[in-house]
Amino acid sequence: MASTRDARAPAQDAGNKAAPNEQRLLWNPENVKDVAESVGIATLGEEGLRALSQDVEYRIGQVIAEAVRFMRLGRRTTMTVRDISLALRVLDVEPLYGYDATKPLRYGEATMGQPFFYIDDEEADFERVINGPLPKVSRDANYTVHWLAIEGVQPTVPQNPTSTEARTQDLLPKGPGANPALAALSGHDSPNFKPTVKHALSQEQILFFEKVQSALLNDSPDAEVHRLRQACLSAVTTEPGTHQLIPYYVTWIANQVTHHLDDLFVLRNMMELTHALICNENIHVAPYASSLCSPVLTCLIGWRLGAESGTDAVKEQYQLREMAASLVGQLAKNYHKSNSQIRQRLIRSCLRAFLNPSMTPQVWYGAILGTVAAGGPEAIRTLVLPNIKSFDSAILQPLGEKGEASHLDFEMVVGAIVKAIQSMCGDDIMMNGANGIVGEQETRLMKDFLGDILTERVTRLGNEELIRAVLEAMDFQ
Amino acid sequence: MSNTGPPSAGGTSGAVFTPQQAPTTTTPGPSAPSMTTTAVPPPVIPQPTTTAPSNQNLNQIVTDYLLKKGYKRTEEIFRQEVKDLDEAGRPRTQSQSPASNKVFPAGIYLSSFKHYERWVDNGIDLYKFELGKIMWPLLVYSYLRLVGQSSSLHAREFLQRCRGRFESQHTDELKALELITLSAHIRENPMAKIYLENRYVIPINKSLTGMLFHYLERELEQCGAVVLDIIQQHCRVDSVDRGPIEPFSFEAIYRRARNMDLDDVDIQEGIPGLTHRSGVANRDILENQATLKLGPLPMEGELRDDVAAELEEEDRIHPPKDGVPTLLDEFNAMHPIKKEAVDSPQRTDIPYPPSRARDVVIEMQKVRENRDRFRIEGRTGGAGPGLSVCMFTFHNHLGSFSCIDFSKDQLLVAVGTAESYIRVWSLDGKPLKSRLPPEKDLKVNNRKLIGHSAPVYTVAFSDAISTMDRALYEGQPNPETHSQLLLSCSADGQVRLWSLDLWACLCIYKGHDGPVTSLSWSPHGHYFVTGGWDKTVRVWAQDHASAQRLLVGHDTPISAVAWHPNGTYVFSASDETDKSIRMWSIANGNCVRVYTGHTDYISALECSPNGKILASADIGGNIFLWDIDKATRIKRCRGHGRGGIWSLSFGVESTVLVSGGQDNTVRVWDVEMPAEGSRPTNQQDGDGTIVAAGAQSDGKQAGSVAQSTSNTSSTGKKKGKEVMITPDQISAFATKKTPVLKVQCTRMNLVIAGGCYYPETQDRA
Repeated sequence: MASTRDARAPAQDAGNKAAPNEQRLLWNPENVKDVAESVGIATLGEEGLRALSQDVEYRIGQVIAEAVRFMRLGRRTTMTVRDISLALRVLDVEPLYGYDATKPLRYGEATMGQPFFYIDDEEADFERVINGPLPKVSRDANYTVHWLAIEGVQPTVPQNPTSTEARTQDLLPKGPGANPALAALSGHDSPNFKPTVKHALSQEQILFFEKVQSALLNDSPDAEVHRLRQACLSAVTTEPGTHQLIPYYVTWIANQVTHHLDDLFVLRNMMELTHALICNENIHVAPYASSLCSPVLTCLIGWRLGAESGTDAVKEQYQLREMAASLVGQLAKNYHKSNSQIRQRLIRSCLRAFLNPSMTPQVWYGAILGTVAAGGPEAIRTLVLPNIKSFDSAILQPLGEKGEASHLDFEMVVGAIVKAIQSMCGDDIMMNGANGIVGEQETRLMKDFLGDILTERVTRLGNEELIRAVLEAMDFQ
Repeated sequence: MSNTGPPSAGGTSGAVFTPQQAPTTTTPGPSAPSMTTTAVPPPVIPQPTTTAPSNQNLNQIVTDYLLKKGYKRTEEIFRQEVKDLDEAGRPRTQSQSPASNKVFPAGIYLSSFKHYERWVDNGIDLYKFELGKIMWPLLVYSYLRLVGQSSSLHAREFLQRCRGRFESQHTDELKALELITLSAHIRENPMAKIYLENRYVIPINKSLTGMLFHYLERELEQCGAVVLDIIQQHCRVDSVDRGPIEPFSFEAIYRRARNMDLDDVDIQEGIPGLTHRSGVANRDILENQATLKLGPLPMEGELRDDVAAELEEEDRIHPPKDGVPTLLDEFNAMHPIKKEAVDSPQRTDIPYPPSRARDVVIEMQKVRENRDRFRIEGRTGGAGPGLSVCMFTFHNHLGSFSCIDFSKDQLLVAVGTAESYIRVWSLDGKPLKSRLPPEKDLKVNNRKLIGHSAPVYTVAFSDAISTMDRALYEGQPNPETHSQLLLSCSADGQVRLWSLDLWACLCIYKGHDGPVTSLSWSPHGHYFVTGGWDKTVRVWAQDHASAQRLLVGHDTPISAVAWHPNGTYVFSASDETDKSIRMWSIANGNCVRVYTGHTDYISALECSPNGKILASADIGGNIFLWDIDKATRIKRCRGHGRGGIWSLSFGVESTVLVSGGQDNTVRVWDVEMPAEGSRPTNQQDGDGTIVAAGAQSDGKQAGSVAQSTSNTSSTGKKKGKEVMITPDQISAFATKKTPVLKVQCTRMNLVIAGGCYYPETQDRA
């Protein structure tokens, strides 16, 4: 036993030496002393006091450890009085009575040499409590339902936090091995996280595109080829999944048109393709509308389209321009909502070509058709008619006098203009057959306004309504 | 011979405390006999040879006997006498080696620890991890000895100066240690008891063992004496036949590559010198070798025939659309007939009540739901499946709801409250049906079940499924398939069974001593398992008032329980010092596996439907996935903030795991993808080069990733390294100030989540 005592001696020595340090106790020994006195122990040795304080600390720690367990079992992060009560109970200690467990306690802090905490209980006045109105009954517990996620994407409904509230970037895995597409997939993409895939086309789409290209450029007269071409176009018209291909189509069309101005076949097919794209309801062409305008305008008012001369070539050329004109109309009609510039741009281009005396008759033809298509009667009334007299004298007269060679061109241009003028009055132009003689007065006025050739043509139609419209347009001046 | 304190001799203190509950016989008597040599036993312990039964062992045997017979008094007196005898200098054979008998001066523990620590830290990196394993037991036992010899000042100083390196891994234990300041506490503190009554197992590489002991011998003066003594008294050094392991050593990487056990290596953080396992050697089964039958439970033959016949009929009446398999085919795929299934338990292992008409309908509906479910096909295109989550948010709860459960037919929800009552709502808003005649016309959509007298910690509905639209039996209504029973457990120590037809308590199961912390229905009904504060896990049958199995082995209260899907095993998790998960066989009551590795309170457990994987979550925000059979960790999923993951649920295919937690999120995890990425980079560094090398695709992508990380870290600097999210997280859905208490994957792979909305931001630690 001697050895034991010896062994303990140094330890105790050290303890005594560091006695001031020993006051690092969390629990104030004064408190223990007070309690001891209250139960009749007047003198409590220093050592005993310290031991008791340490024991108190230990017991409190035990209680807290148990209470933490019950807090976690209750799936909370705030400890309540009830947790402490339960902890005391399982430790076989008398539980605390008289503390309200329904709401978290509020603590006040006072400094009396060392920090001192107390429960901040308000004082209740009996009088007031008894006579005061009853407190409101708290609302009954209930639940609400919402979709936290639908197929992996969080819908933006009021019940879900906004992406800034949730700091969604913090919710995603980062670092090597992390999937960079997850942000986009889970519905919260952000400028921080640019899509890293350039613009991927599936193998099928590439194949499809190549088929379309080859079919449209194959000018063999074989019926089979023709059928394939038609099938391609109808596929482009109906295929819902070709959205990714639009930019490729647009670029391709532009390139082909630029480089094959002498090949009416190619140009025509490009226009067909453009038409097919516009007609496809499943894809969203609007962003590309202005890019589509350029090739269409080229086909409409190009200086020289097609190489060889000959009736067939001329006819095809006019047909191409006709087609381009209707495409212009379609573009203007379909996309002027999303692109406010598009209509003005089309009309301006056409009008400039129309009023340029150095152009060819084919250009004038296309230009007037384009103006009508893009601008409608309003454009004719306000933009074309005022200039028609000078056009008549400066262009039509010389053209008409050129003789047989340009007779067709002359007729085409005049016809187009008449058609344009006709567009000013309703749809039923053709139905209102000739129904009367145009008065001298009107003829004179019209001649002043339209010029001889056109006046003659227009009056020959014998459409009273039309003449009235023209005269009104004159008045509009 | 003052009896104020326990014997101060360090050498004997272990011997004094241990006998009251003798450790399993595999460990040698923790005292004298093993020190046959002077000073240092040669590389101590490969196979500790048991010496002839000494007095010590004899005493133990007697104590054991007395304990077993319940002669507690006698046992105590006997122990006292033995102790006195020992103290009084009873002839101690030749075992009085200087090392064990020596009482070390108080200061030497600190200097020894520091000396040893310095040696380890200055040694080569490869060995740091392994040699560091000694340090935790060294700290614990040194401290306990210091307290034991009443030098509390030294003890405190020792703990203050040495605890730093364990702060992250042994938080709870350090807290518990800190509390122990008087020698009297040692005798009653549960943690101290666990450590003193068991040997701490330290597996160390073979060659290092030699090196370690040679070093200790060499430095006997500076630290060897203390360390050796502690090792001899309290530890068991297992030399293992493998290369030295260290988070980035060849061995670790090699093992990781082959998906083997990492042996508690924490790769991601790379903190050297931690042992994940709590290390305490109360492991009656250390080998984790027992054969398991993890296959599904075969269906009862008669029931099977009935269901098959009815399904055939159903297929005839409502032929499935093209491309959809018939119900019968689906059924056969779900329950293939295997005559001799090796991995499946026998139906005779566990008795079940005979099946009823209700079971037929339920099985039929299960087949239908399984066929028509939303299929989760692995990880397509690297993004993972998009799950739908339906969220139920509770309002005006005054912070008292502690648990939520949804019935499996999605018709009812129950919450247990701290105010001791249970409340059940109908989810479709229709009035709750009651069988009681006076309540026939009562139209209420919620009910309170009152009976418990303390906070309710878990509620659980019995199995249910939506009912059939066709009358199965002529002239009779279809059997009810809704949830008819509700179980609840509470801090008052009771488990109650409630009828949802009568809205009354049917039965009280008493047995647990102290609060019942968690509860779970068997997947096949009839049985349920409870875990209690009294450290026991109990398995009950619905029709018996007392527990059918009493599973004892955990060192601290149970925090979570779960069933294996075939109904023949249960899992339980314990908190504080233990922090292990145990797997128990219901058939014989044995503990068949122990899973160790958590360092925080385990708040949820769930077993995958395929029966191969166990998921466990702790309040530190970690989810561990375990290979059930090998008892090894598959991976760790991180992403949840601290505060607790309250619920886990697997998808039907076992390929995704859904979790919900205190951090107001529901997260979806990929079970199949390895969490640790392709290489063991230290991600906290955010090193651009590593990221570039690690990303599989083009450099631009890697660049943008690096950029985005740096962006976020600069914006949210205050939470710099708070949570690292592993790449196997498929998605995370945030709620509005609503901690998620329950997530549940339905049989058709819809996720249902429940939580309580807290209008004011509550202070979350």
